[in-house]
Amino acid sequence: MAAVRWLAARLARAVLVVWIVATVVFFALRASGDPLEAILGGPGSQAGPEAVAAAEREYGLDRPLVVQYAVQLGRIATLQLGDSYARRQSVAELIWQQLPSTLVLAVLALALAWVLAVVGAIIATTARGRIGRAVNALLRGVEIAATVMPQFWLGAVLILVFASTLGLLPATSAGSSPAELVLPVVTLAIPIAGFLAQVSRDALLEADRAPFATSARARGAGEPRLLLRHTLRHASLPALALSGWAFGNLLSGAVVVEVLFARPGLGRLLQEAALARDVPVVIGAVSIVAVLYVAVIVVADAAELVVDPRLRGPRPAALRMPDVAVGS
Amino acid sequence: MPSRALAAAALLAPLVLLASCAAPDAGEDAVTETGGTLVYATGDAEPTCLDPHVGGNYPQALLSTQYLEPLFGRDAEGTIRPWLATDWETSEDGLTWDLTLRDDISFTDGTPFDAEAVKANIEHLQDPNTASSTGYLAVEQIDEIEVVDPAHVRLHLSTPKSALLEALSQPWTAMESPAGIERGQDENCQAPIGTGPFVVDEWVPQQRVELSRNDDYVATNPEADHDGAAHLDGIEWRFIPDAATRQAALASGEVDVIDNPLPSDIVSAEGQGITHIDAPRPASSNRIELNSAQAPFDDIRVREAFVRAADPNPGIESLFLGTAERSYSPLSSMEPLAYADPALFETDADAAAALLDEAGWSERDDDGTRLKDGERLTVRFPVSTDQSTAAEQSLFEQIQENAASVGFDVVLDPVDLSTWYGALGAHEYEAVSAPYTTVGPDVLRILYHSSGTVPAPSGYFANHAMLQLPELDEALDAAASALDPDERAERYTEAQRIVLESYAVLPLYDQQNHFLVKGATGIATLGTVATPTFVNAQLTD
Repeated sequence: MAAVRWLAARLARAVLVVWIVATVVFFALRASGDPLEAILGGPGSQAGPEAVAAAEREYGLDRPLVVQYAVQLGRIATLQLGDSYARRQSVAELIWQQLPSTLVLAVLALALAWVLAVVGAIIATTARGRIGRAVNALLRGVEIAATVMPQFWLGAVLILVFASTLGLLPATSAGSSPAELVLPVVTLAIPIAGFLAQVSRDALLEADRAPFATSARARGAGEPRLLLRHTLRHASLPALALSGWAFGNLLSGAVVVEVLFARPGLGRLLQEAALARDVPVVIGAVSIVAVLYVAVIVVADAAELVVDPRLRGPRPAALRMPDVAVGS
Repeated sequence: MPSRALAAAALLAPLVLLASCAAPDAGEDAVTETGGTLVYATGDAEPTCLDPHVGGNYPQALLSTQYLEPLFGRDAEGTIRPWLATDWETSEDGLTWDLTLRDDISFTDGTPFDAEAVKANIEHLQDPNTASSTGYLAVEQIDEIEVVDPAHVRLHLSTPKSALLEALSQPWTAMESPAGIERGQDENCQAPIGTGPFVVDEWVPQQRVELSRNDDYVATNPEADHDGAAHLDGIEWRFIPDAATRQAALASGEVDVIDNPLPSDIVSAEGQGITHIDAPRPASSNRIELNSAQAPFDDIRVREAFVRAADPNPGIESLFLGTAERSYSPLSSMEPLAYADPALFETDADAAAALLDEAGWSERDDDGTRLKDGERLTVRFPVSTDQSTAAEQSLFEQIQENAASVGFDVVLDPVDLSTWYGALGAHEYEAVSAPYTTVGPDVLRILYHSSGTVPAPSGYFANHAMLQLPELDEALDAAASALDPDERAERYTEAQRIVLESYAVLPLYDQQNHFLVKGATGIATLGTVATPTFVNAQLTD
């Protein structure tokens, strides 16, 4: 019963998020330009009066704005996303074509970010003494540098080095080999990894000094066993709680990475549609992103329940958000 | 935070080292091969429809040149050449045009190319449901299309149009299979059917368009250097929006040809085994237009002051690294009828200051901006970041500085394309730079005839300078209907002189159109709108 209520509350939140997002996008796009441009062959189109009138009728743009808004919401509610103004194609089809590419990118980047973060945290806790302090200081610096590094710049440097100069990896995606995923995934993962690493390293160091670690050591547990069975699990909690946020960040970072590496994907679709005032595509794509975002947060919450038995009882105070720099 | 800086340096040092010690590519010997797939990477936007009749912009022209062919072509000298049409004849009054068509051509779906096909294409361009913009302008004066016999078509015009053949040589009015058009816009947008050397196989949005060789191609292309089909098996047409990424893909051999390279990449191409093709676009030059319909540029003295103070030459030289040449004409240097007058544009800050004093802008406020009756000498200059390259935007900043030294407050506003058109439509600008690509000097009528100040229903108007000069209208109208080439040339020269002397236009340079090629030969650009054709191309790896 509790689980059902838990899920229902989160679904309600998801609906609210999608509604807010669709509303903001609809009015923002309408306030900033005329969607007729998208229909009639882009900005500056010199279409004649007959063409303008025909397009207005066909797309219902001659109706009051409130009616158009209601129609748009109705479409989302019934999952009928309509047709793109510019591409004369179904929005659902366009999104379906682009979504897998972005998901692959985001999921791999999140996985890589996690690996980098955990490896960094383990190095930080296992190195001891004066060297340990030096390593820690260095890692801290690298993490902050990684977190604040702009993705377009990071990507450009990676392309310059690994594609242009060394010729080791392709700079762009032709849709033919896994090698072309490497640079985009790394570009996307590094800032997230820096952020997750800061959080999980602090948590791991804290767990390492916690009484339960001391008592486990006293009972003769070896360091690897202690790490794997106890402290790592403890340290992963705050990072796990932030994975939902990180995933949302990855989806927005995908716009930059997809443009830079000429990868197809939802981010690029969204960027092009926004520039063209292609209202149905923007609303459809943003709604899908919102749904994904909420879904990932639900999964991250559920994963926390699995990792941390304490959460399965009465809910304790929310986990403290660490106060660190966040890159874009 | 020294530790952070140190960490950043530690992270970057290996990358920088790797980048700096790399050896440049050795020049490779050109051994051509027949067959293979050439990879072309464009930095222009991805078309939303592959049929250039729909809408009608340059990205569509680039791509459709590979699979569609027009009735006429134009050579490097600007002379009209036969393509799908072989001959033409005009009536005395210029209202009737008889075109003779080739009788040995079929579209790639097997539909014969004939007079019925020409009729179907022009009607398709004129149909409001097609939503054609560029192509529509080219054929709007055609009232009736008469099919005389399969090889002859007669066009009846509402007004004489000396630029008709140039209009019909544009890629936006190229011929498509009537059966293809019949399929409806959704399907035709995905894979238009033409008579060109290549055929559209598949379009994977945001990634590529696959083109394969038309094995039955009959060499109608005036640029073709051999009979029969193209050498290449096909072309993979890719969309790579970022200029640095495109260059990296070319350097690493992922792609064979790129367009829209950065000036620095053009300069460094030499000695890297990379060929540079410089093919400026025809029709108008890139220029800044001053809005002569409202203050302060409704006073010709203020316009001249701006032009005398702007001093764009040092900026053009340094920012474009010698890849762009200063223009003093409203027309591209590719246009045989282009008329230039450098004397009108000599930089003279003292003369500019004197002109402003004379025009009543004699006081200055604290930051040096001139005042008149308490009004500041402000110039709103919206800049489309989608159309202006980084170099061009930097040039505008230099012009802003130069104009500030005599008292102009130029407010540069970098915005996206839609917002930019919005500002133009609302007349919220005093200066603007707008590209316009078409074929022939008739572009002057589109850009500077007073009828161009009346907005289309979409809000767009082409005469951004807001020129409404009866003598200019008269010259442009006379040129548009002049069938005698000498009279036409004389009238267009006169029109250009009036435009330049109005000081409402500051010409900068030709519309930049550069290609970098590595690992291929035989790439030519058409004399119409300078799109590349691969009918002769071969890979050399």
